[in-house]
Amino acid sequence: MAEKLLEIRNLKQYFNQGKPNEVRAVDDVSFDIYKGETLGLVGESGCGKSTTGRTIIRLYNATDGQVIYDGVDVHDKKSKKDLKTFNRKMQMIFQDPYASLNPRMKVLDIIAEGLDIHGLVKNPKERKERVVELLETVGLNREHADRYAHEFSGGQRQRLGIARALAVEPEFIIADEPISALDVSIQAQVVNLLKELQEEKGLTYLFIAHDLSMVKYISDRIGVMYFGKLVELAPAEDLYNNPLHPYTQSLLSAIPLPDPNYERTRVRKSYDPSVHNYQDGEEIAMREITPGHFVFCSEKESESLKAISNSRL
Amino acid sequence: MSQDIKKLPAGSFERVHIDSTQAERISKPSMSFWQDAWLRIRKNKAAIVSMFILAFIVIMAFVGPMISPHDADTQTITHANLPPKVPGLEKLGIFDGVGTLGGKEVDLYEMKKVDTYYWFGTDGLGRDMFSRVWEGTQISLFIAFMAALIDMVIGVAYGGISGYYGGRVDDILQRIVEILYGIPTLVIVILMSLFMEPGITAIIIAITITGWVGMSRIVRGQVLKFKNQEFVLASRTLGASNGRIIVKHILPNILGIIIINTMFTIPGAIFFEAFLSFIGLGLQPPNASLGTLINDGYKMIKFQPHILLYPSLILSLLMIAFNLLGDGLRDALDPKMKD
Amino acid sequence: MEKILEVKDLELSFHTFAGEVKAIRGVNFDLLKGETLAIVGESGSGKSVTTKAIMRLLPESSSEFKNGQILFNGKDLTKLTDKEMQKIRGKDISMIFQDPMTSLNPTMTIGNQIMEPILKHRKVSKSEARKVAVDLLRLVGLPKPEARIKQYPHQFSGGQRQRIVIAIALACNPQILIADEPTTALDVTIQAQILELMKDLQKKIDTSIIFITHDLGVVANVADRVAVMYGGKIVEIGTVDEIFYNPQHPYTWGLLSSMPSLDTAEEKLYAIPGTPPDLLSPPKGDAFALRSDYALKIDLEEAPPFFKVSDTHYAATWLLHPDAPQVEPPLAIVERMKKYPGSRYYEGTKGGSY
Repeated sequence: MAEKLLEIRNLKQYFNQGKPNEVRAVDDVSFDIYKGETLGLVGESGCGKSTTGRTIIRLYNATDGQVIYDGVDVHDKKSKKDLKTFNRKMQMIFQDPYASLNPRMKVLDIIAEGLDIHGLVKNPKERKERVVELLETVGLNREHADRYAHEFSGGQRQRLGIARALAVEPEFIIADEPISALDVSIQAQVVNLLKELQEEKGLTYLFIAHDLSMVKYISDRIGVMYFGKLVELAPAEDLYNNPLHPYTQSLLSAIPLPDPNYERTRVRKSYDPSVHNYQDGEEIAMREITPGHFVFCSEKESESLKAISNSRL
Repeated sequence: MSQDIKKLPAGSFERVHIDSTQAERISKPSMSFWQDAWLRIRKNKAAIVSMFILAFIVIMAFVGPMISPHDADTQTITHANLPPKVPGLEKLGIFDGVGTLGGKEVDLYEMKKVDTYYWFGTDGLGRDMFSRVWEGTQISLFIAFMAALIDMVIGVAYGGISGYYGGRVDDILQRIVEILYGIPTLVIVILMSLFMEPGITAIIIAITITGWVGMSRIVRGQVLKFKNQEFVLASRTLGASNGRIIVKHILPNILGIIIINTMFTIPGAIFFEAFLSFIGLGLQPPNASLGTLINDGYKMIKFQPHILLYPSLILSLLMIAFNLLGDGLRDALDPKMKD
Repeated sequence: MEKILEVKDLELSFHTFAGEVKAIRGVNFDLLKGETLAIVGESGSGKSVTTKAIMRLLPESSSEFKNGQILFNGKDLTKLTDKEMQKIRGKDISMIFQDPMTSLNPTMTIGNQIMEPILKHRKVSKSEARKVAVDLLRLVGLPKPEARIKQYPHQFSGGQRQRIVIAIALACNPQILIADEPTTALDVTIQAQILELMKDLQKKIDTSIIFITHDLGVVANVADRVAVMYGGKIVEIGTVDEIFYNPQHPYTWGLLSSMPSLDTAEEKLYAIPGTPPDLLSPPKGDAFALRSDYALKIDLEEAPPFFKVSDTHYAATWLLHPDAPQVEPPLAIVERMKKYPGSRYYEGTKGGSY
């Protein structure tokens, strides 16, 4: 059994708590991420997936709950030194290739920033060499180091963002919609790169996205979020072949595929939260329906879901 | 869609291997933001001309009094109110020392038996206008420099802190600014004239109290915009300290706006001093500033227009040049206009 | 089928700071009555520019038609004055854009925005126009239209706003509706609703749609015919089945292969290497050759003409020249072709040939 790298326990991120415009962006979410795996996190806008990622990496302070990385609580009061160690282990790749690189800095400095902050190189020569090494890892080359971000295309910029994150030799990378802003053929380049890097360096990924086909391709397990709650969590194949939560079913039925015959016959299911008909006092939690496949439901629902799953096997 | 399949040379259909790394090459020369801005501004003729005009005025402000044969302060009453006379140009019929007296055109130099040249003429007390005008320009430029300095030091710091830290700090700092913004600088100057002599110091203090408010607002807005940009967040996740983020990430990106804004504050400050001096709350005689010279000059506008003409001309040129340069800079530094 | 729009040999350039950008380098297509033509391409392919050119929405000062015609209702749209185009826009040809947040005027009620084209193009009274507006809102599926017609855009969600935008576009029953990435900014479930709505409305109003997108799934869902654009040109055009099951151009192969399919587990996604061409100095020959595994020597010299694959299917690639070698498309494409009678790989009867 693989070891856990990250444990998220009852994570809450409420904005404007207590006020009339309170937003429960992340509402009591719990899940684990195992070493070496890619956990995909999907959902539509406003579901809280990006907020979850940013709270984990401490860009926001959690309202409540715990983020336990390698056994250590991340949101506890930490010394500067501890925080720095943590910064090295967990890194993030951002969505917007045009906003994620400083337009006034040369690529050399952008990528070397992590090296500079953590004092990982001894002199400018070593710094340059290390940056060139990173550039080559992501499929760019030496001459790109002296250029500015605006000279690169979207896909190349995303690769620069990846190189920047890799500079500090992290173990865990949160990819926050890294391909959403890229053209289809470029998405494949970046996704392939991420997969290669994972194998080479033994990285663990949290891959946040809304493009379900791409998420399935890259993820081992996938979590589906809806209005701040995690509604389903399962291995990728299971999720697509046997979606149990009605929202997941609705989501999957809405994806258009590049296959006209399939499209002619696809029927879309819409999701109405009232279909659950939860009674007062009913406890709704993440329950394991089949091994490794969790659904956010009531006791009653879990019974019927188990029955359905068994009949499908 | 032509269907005639033309015959093509043999070997045309050989497969070629494409080196895809070639596809990653960037062919255009690398340019930093500032190099790019310089290229843009070079194409803006108005801005370039303005730059030359400003350079000329600045140089003349210091060189002018030195090259003039006369002193700015020496009063030679017998030489009062002489029109401009420049050796060489006098032969062309301009700058020849001819003015109107009693409705007739008279060579006043001859009449008053003056054998030296006053390039911009003299004023009512016989002082050399050329030297006075340039010395006055020195004052104006000094004000300009101080206003820019105060803007950049106080305005940027204030707006930057307010914007970056946000929350309580921001609330308090902004309330203070709102109060300051409501007080006209003129009122402050008037109040200060109760405590101190009107003059350069008073003007500088007045500008220090309220002149930077516009800049602080703009900087605050920019900082708010940039601090949530993804590249700043990326820096934070890498472990950057606040100081590093402000200096390396935010400042370089707002420098363009700061420069542009300063370009526009300067003419305002210059004009403010001129205006104060004109109404008597600024520099006092015998000190010369463009404002006092204009004040002296407008009284004599019918008879000795040259006393008003040259300081007004310099003042106008300064204002227009700074404004045009500011416009040009804004176009050149605007990050939206990428090639 | 009747042709509503004919675009012939269209070439358009932008005069920019850096030089002349040849955004459209020779585009030919027709739009038939009642059909949906999808134009697919990536950033820089020229798809948006083409439709804006049809609507003459490009800035006159920096854009220039270097060649070609756009024939609509017997007129060449490239030659009309702006005043003449105003009579066409909103009435005969309508356009909807990508971002529903900025497509609507935040200071006008949606009622007024829908009535605007009606009042301009049809000589009707205000109350008549209001009635039409309410009917339109109902048609696009907005509940309680009589009440909501007085509301402002910020009181609606993204999906609802896009419906309103569609209502405005269809207010005068245009012959052509140009939709420029109308669902790209929307969530998957909302996107599905909007696509259903558009197909439904098309049947009711019998309008022809030009649908621009980069999402091949959406294309498969809405399109009757598909035009694939690359580097300012159309590289392949055909019916939706022909494009998806029997593609001939290496770029189309690349696009289709770089999308993971939901049912096969792939080891590695095929990724087209490199980046789209710089249209400031477009490459000689086939613009896609530099990124293609199937490049031929001639690709570097001369741009290929269209070769006919069927009456409805044309592709601009030298691979279709009779003298060209037979190449093996990527695995994912071969899988698709296996299902298509008429392709080389069809499993079933004697393989079709072209």
